[in-house]
Amino acid sequence: MSKRLVVSFVAALAAGMFSPLLRAQDAKWNNIPPTRAAYVGKTPSGPAPTRDLTGIWDTVQTLGVSGVLEHPALLPGGRGQEGGREDETGIAKPLPYTPAGLEALKKNKPSGPGVRQVDSVLTNDPAGKCDPLGFPYMFTWEFRTINVVQTPRQVIMLSPFYGNYRVIWTDGRKPPDDPDPRYNGYSVGHWVDDYTFVVETTGMLAKTWLDHAGRPHSEQLQVEETYHRIAADTMEFSMKFTDPVMYTEPFMATNKLPLHLLPPDFDIPELLCSPSEFAEYNNQVASPVLRDSSKK
Amino acid sequence: MAHKLGIVAFMVGVFAFSVPLFAHHGAASFESGKTVTVKGTVTEYVWSNPHVLVKVDAKDDSGNVVRWVLEAWNPVTQAGRGWTKNTFKPGDEVSLDITPAKNEKPVGEIRGRMVINGQEFKQQQ
Repeated sequence: MSKRLVVSFVAALAAGMFSPLLRAQDAKWNNIPPTRAAYVGKTPSGPAPTRDLTGIWDTVQTLGVSGVLEHPALLPGGRGQEGGREDETGIAKPLPYTPAGLEALKKNKPSGPGVRQVDSVLTNDPAGKCDPLGFPYMFTWEFRTINVVQTPRQVIMLSPFYGNYRVIWTDGRKPPDDPDPRYNGYSVGHWVDDYTFVVETTGMLAKTWLDHAGRPHSEQLQVEETYHRIAADTMEFSMKFTDPVMYTEPFMATNKLPLHLLPPDFDIPELLCSPSEFAEYNNQVASPVLRDSSKK
Repeated sequence: MAHKLGIVAFMVGVFAFSVPLFAHHGAASFESGKTVTVKGTVTEYVWSNPHVLVKVDAKDDSGNVVRWVLEAWNPVTQAGRGWTKNTFKPGDEVSLDITPAKNEKPVGEIRGRMVINGQEFKQQQ
């Protein structure tokens, strides 16, 4: 086989691996992130820039990031696959609920996957009404492609999934002592070294959910995020929750989840929640398929 | 019920689903693991969130027309599979493999083979 043929073969193979990306580059608009297959066997590469998170990052959406990754019961799957019970006892790795946490959990009726999934029309998930997801729900539910913008005073994260954005102040300010709660809370960040950025968030509204499976949180929730840039094209994302009202001990939501850098001209497609479209969906699909409770 | 699944469509097989790609918020209402083929005429194609919808008129054994409402994923996911706003148009003759609703209403999830006007539509993964 000639060298030219070998080169052509390798090029064709690479094109196949990254075909969604190439298609996106051709089109320039509404680019679809690569599938997981594009990253199989791919190692992080290139020297990481210092103190810089700028860029368009993707978690590889086909991972189906839909819940607290450290807890296998929340990974995508059908109702009951995990074998747990309605109060989440019996699942592979139950969260450390306090009695108040367990009571709050029972009030939330998720339509997302897990042992407590209800018919879509019966959910009280804020997302089911197109209410703001807030933080950290915007990241624990289908953490999709984000655009990170850095200014001298802020790191801004833009997530076209449900139209979310958040501002992380890096000007040295401290978190507020007694904040009025808000959907995204109050975030401050700092660099612990040239490649590691840590964010502390407090003051989040208790009516938002922790994740798509209806895990609760209180206004005492503290979220610590760590973004560790390990190469030019890869950083690791870890997120720890501390909420003594709802949980007896802190726990990790993600642990070194790899984020992949996409080309700078990647146009993230929008995926917004429209109340009128959602109402039509409920009218056309969710209400008609509501199960007879006696036959569930 | 007038439009039982076995009348307006025929079951082509049952297979075990792999782990879904996404957290589907309505999955509890559908019979995952079961596939039904709906054959009929497209009446409407709705490119919207949270799910793209394809409405299909299919006749039952008595000749009565039953309107099926079939959902796909959201537009972004469907675009990744090669769908566009023009994939279907009213009047198209289709044969679609779907996951049916547990309550046997004419509603389903498009999850398998698709034939549009005699041509199989190859979905990208």
